Amino acid sequence: MFYDSFQAWWWPFVFITLAGVVPTNMWRWIGVVVVGRLDESSEWLVLVRFVASSLVAAVIAQFVFFPSGALAAAPLWLRLGAVAVGFISFLGFGRRIIVGVIVAETVLLSGMSLFAKF
Amino acid sequence: MTDNANPLKVESPEFGGSVYDWSWFRTGMRQILSLPALILVSGFIGFGGLARESGVSVWEMIYMVPAIWALPSHLLVIAGIGAGASLVTLAPAVILASVRMMPMTMALVPDIRLPRSKTWHLLAVSHLVAITAWVHVLQRAPDIPRAGRLPYFVGFGVMLVMSSTLAATLVYEAAASFPPIVMAGLYFITPIYFATSLWNSSRYRAEHIALGLGFALGPAMAMILPEANILAGGIAGGILAYGIHRMFFSQSGKR
Repeated sequence: MFYDSFQAWWWPFVFITLAGVVPTNMWRWIGVVVVGRLDESSEWLVLVRFVASSLVAAVIAQFVFFPSGALAAAPLWLRLGAVAVGFISFLGFGRRIIVGVIVAETVLLSGMSLFAKF
Repeated sequence: MTDNANPLKVESPEFGGSVYDWSWFRTGMRQILSLPALILVSGFIGFGGLARESGVSVWEMIYMVPAIWALPSHLLVIAGIGAGASLVTLAPAVILASVRMMPMTMALVPDIRLPRSKTWHLLAVSHLVAITAWVHVLQRAPDIPRAGRLPYFVGFGVMLVMSSTLAATLVYEAAASFPPIVMAGLYFITPIYFATSLWNSSRYRAEHIALGLGFALGPAMAMILPEANILAGGIAGGILAYGIHRMFFSQSGKR
């Protein structure tokens, strides 16, 4: 079943509910119900934490490698370069998120004004 | 600290049974002006643009932002919709990516509940568990009387949800009138914001390896499994990093 499987107006809402709302909220509900009954330092939860982090990194990469729309006008090397320089600045300046965001944006936007084809 | 030691049996009037002190609701709401809140809302500015590009309608986005309320899940859903992923690969990816909500909720509940808090209160409030409000309330809880903690958390959480939804909607609607380079800049906020905040919130050293592997394997898997590359790359990267964690860091792996 896909996002565009049915033409009905309500289908996208059902799709979003099944693909995103229930899969996210079930963990919050489970958390409330099992609180105090589950060992939070269990190895299972450590493995799960690693998989969750890696998955979110894969999502980030999806937007950098396969962007749609306006960002696709920037070449791949520029997108990757902007992320890399932004990230290194973030690490170099005391892991301040705002530094990473500003540097990455500056590299991307100045690169795009020179190289991007609209 | 008796309330922490035995939270379900204490009934001293100081803790008020299940009577919350709602004067803390407004104090929580005012935290919308804090720096972490502003960064989160700017992440949703980028999300509004990404959502538009992925092809979801504005009403679908207005539903999705508060109903899911976890930016990694939001991003997975719109990336999946944009890439034409099926429910069978998308739902497991979101399930795996949001497991962290469970330990986060488990850590918060003992701090904010009252001796006779109803379970349904906590189930409802747990919807607001997401990284920004969670970190903030865990830090501030010791300075807030117990009866005020749940209202404080709800006040902050509700303001975050409303501001983020509003920001995403305004950008979605205005996107067409912005020059393309401005839109490109807005889309780009979310990935870099997430890469850096995830790096900061990781608890184990090898978790940084998990982030690097996921970033590399996700796109690489697109050549083999174009419709399930995020799921496949994420699982492979997580398991590999866990192996490295067990081999090299398990004695002193905590950061």
